[in-house]
Amino acid sequence: MPKKNMVAMILAGGQGSRLGVLTNNVAKPAVPFGSRYRIIDFPLSNCSNSGIDTVGVLTQYQPLDLNTYVGTGHPWDLDRNNGGAFILPPYQKIEGMDWYKNTANAIYQNINFIDNFMPNYVLILSGDHIYKMNYDLMLKQHIEEKADATIAVLEVPWDEAPRFGIMNTDESGRNIIEFEEKPAEPKSNLASMGIYIFTWSVLRKELLADEENPDSSHDFGKDIIPSMLSQDMKLSAYHFSGYWKDVGTIRSLWDANMDILDKQDEINFRDSAWRIYSRNPVKPAHYISSEATVKNSCMTDGCVVYGEAEHTVLSHSCVIEEGAIVKDSVLMPGVKVRKGAIVDKAIIGMNTIIGEGCKIGGKPDPQNPYYNKKLCSDEIVVLDRGLIIKDNAVIPGNCMVEHRPDLTEGNVVEDVVQVW
Amino acid sequence: MYNKVIGLILADDLAINLGELSYSRGIGAMPFGGRYRLIDFALSNFVNTGMLTIGVSTFLKYRSLMDHLGTGAAWDLDRMNQGLHILPPNYGLEAHSGESYDLTGLWDFYRDFSHPYIIISTCHCVFNMTYEDFIETHINSGADMTVLYNEDGYRCGSPITFFDIDENNRITGVYYNPEKPKSNNTSVGTLIMHRELFVDLLSNMMSRGIQDASFLTFLRMFKTYDIRGYKFEGEALRINSIQSYFNETMRVLSDPVRSQIFYGEYPIYTKVKDEAPTYYNDSCVVDNSMISDGCVIQGTVQDSMLFRGVTVSGQSTVNNSILFQDTFVSEGCQLENVIVDKNSVIRPGTKLIGNPNYPIVIGKGVIV
Repeated sequence: MPKKNMVAMILAGGQGSRLGVLTNNVAKPAVPFGSRYRIIDFPLSNCSNSGIDTVGVLTQYQPLDLNTYVGTGHPWDLDRNNGGAFILPPYQKIEGMDWYKNTANAIYQNINFIDNFMPNYVLILSGDHIYKMNYDLMLKQHIEEKADATIAVLEVPWDEAPRFGIMNTDESGRNIIEFEEKPAEPKSNLASMGIYIFTWSVLRKELLADEENPDSSHDFGKDIIPSMLSQDMKLSAYHFSGYWKDVGTIRSLWDANMDILDKQDEINFRDSAWRIYSRNPVKPAHYISSEATVKNSCMTDGCVVYGEAEHTVLSHSCVIEEGAIVKDSVLMPGVKVRKGAIVDKAIIGMNTIIGEGCKIGGKPDPQNPYYNKKLCSDEIVVLDRGLIIKDNAVIPGNCMVEHRPDLTEGNVVEDVVQVW
Repeated sequence: MYNKVIGLILADDLAINLGELSYSRGIGAMPFGGRYRLIDFALSNFVNTGMLTIGVSTFLKYRSLMDHLGTGAAWDLDRMNQGLHILPPNYGLEAHSGESYDLTGLWDFYRDFSHPYIIISTCHCVFNMTYEDFIETHINSGADMTVLYNEDGYRCGSPITFFDIDENNRITGVYYNPEKPKSNNTSVGTLIMHRELFVDLLSNMMSRGIQDASFLTFLRMFKTYDIRGYKFEGEALRINSIQSYFNETMRVLSDPVRSQIFYGEYPIYTKVKDEAPTYYNDSCVVDNSMISDGCVIQGTVQDSMLFRGVTVSGQSTVNNSILFQDTFVSEGCQLENVIVDKNSVIRPGTKLIGNPNYPIVIGKGVIV
């Protein structure tokens, strides 16, 4: 294999359990986002646009959709003769087999893959953030600073800092001196974005040492970074100041989707110099009928609107029939809203059909069997993919409806359809 | 079908003149239906039938077409041994004048395959079908050629080819642009024959110095060969003039034509562009329109077809119009019965009002 300057590794194996039913059958990076995209399109497109042509995608939890989606890497221009996109699942070895135990362990198990390309640097990314970033500029700083590791950081509001991994720097703001995971009393508001560049020779030694340490949890933030700090290695902070959103919770996923409508200048998908690529559905242009009303919404190929869409994100092949009203919602690919149904503040999974006259959303009802206090908030309703919601069913706010066989007899879900 | 039938697409047609729209592109590369080009329909019909070896023959203005086709990956035609083959003219050959399809090139290419049949398709008819039954019918009939036709000839303008068909479906007369057509049977621009017959016919033409081989050339052999008609029941949109381009686009906006062409059993494939989703703001009004990705709609759009990346600014009205890729309509404009080619800019406050029977055409990259 020819030598590469930098190889990117995307950690895409996490379950994303806080997204509830949306990640029951798919890994979080494969969750549809923003009308045309899936979450993993962002790191993949960033790599492609930054000139990185070798990307390992580490998968573990429910990999089918993700593997199918990434495929040969063609949509991101990552089908290369030397390099390209590689799906890297855990595998069986001579001394037994092992799942990826944590982030650092996942990279440890793929040392051979990285060694193949003899890179100078390794870029570690996670598959659950929405942002546009030029990793080449980050690498430039890493080289200029002669750092052992460079960590991308973002200034977050002080009151939100306790939710993040916080990097404390010296006066220059460039050198990291301390890492604190979710500190109650943060000393800085520089949050780690989970984007790391390591000098490969350094990281390789660290990974081998970390694997030998029985007390380690094999995590980049909790183990590798503190260990490097304790050895007085040079850790540089790369300041990023653009749109960045972690879409780990129902609320943040909804927020990020709405940002496409409300913060277009920040997120800007129309920048032809930094396109976000995705696997395209083969669908005709969307159609809006004479009876339809569309306000402050976005949609893509294959949608057909006869009803009303307001402040809503429609993915490909969604249908809103006559008299139906969809407001403040996110419809994933193939969702159908039948005549007269009302959908208010919902995230609806792929290919789900909302029956005629249904009422989805509104004031929460804690007595409702689908009421989910743990994952849902702010009156957001979440529906699993592939459901057929019975005509005239009522699902109030903060409900999460799961696709379970025993629900088919209930008064809400009629039947389940084939998802693919 | 992959080893039984080979395809040939005639991507140019000098008889069809789309004015300024065809100034820089052949008929096959003509944008249609929001995100397609006319050749996409011919190609997708082949691919959806399971055919894997397809030649695309062209002779003039093929840059735009080559750019669109690329390796053929969008149609799944980037195959190892079969796949898409672009057959541009071989200008170095004495036998080729550059005014028509390069018969030597076609002959060279089609001679060496082992597929028993060839389907020849033109690009100016838009329809969505697969050819299994057409192929079966041709084989079972024992005819030399079978040509696809339908019965909406009276509706369509010229250039157009009419047939007389007898009770055995045999073609007994072929008329090109007749003043008073005797029947309503008109060609949909697709025919099937034995590949060996095709190669023989080419070789015969070349030896007699015949340059001009077109789709019609084959049909006119109805006295020598047994040519049958196969009736196509679905919708076929004929694009043979600016007026028909405009009319057929307007017709495809509404059902059942829209469903038949775009939402058939099989998809129509095209080259992918990674545009952002289309955004509709708070004050926009949209009525009966097809709109592609990457558009920004702030004004009023009615009964129109918008290609990718079109912007319609506030206080502007677009009515009964076709806006090609990346058209920018500034504020306070009024467009009615207009076709705007790629990358054009309509300056603030501009009024362009054509007649439905004579739409205004704005050329590529023009600032109005």
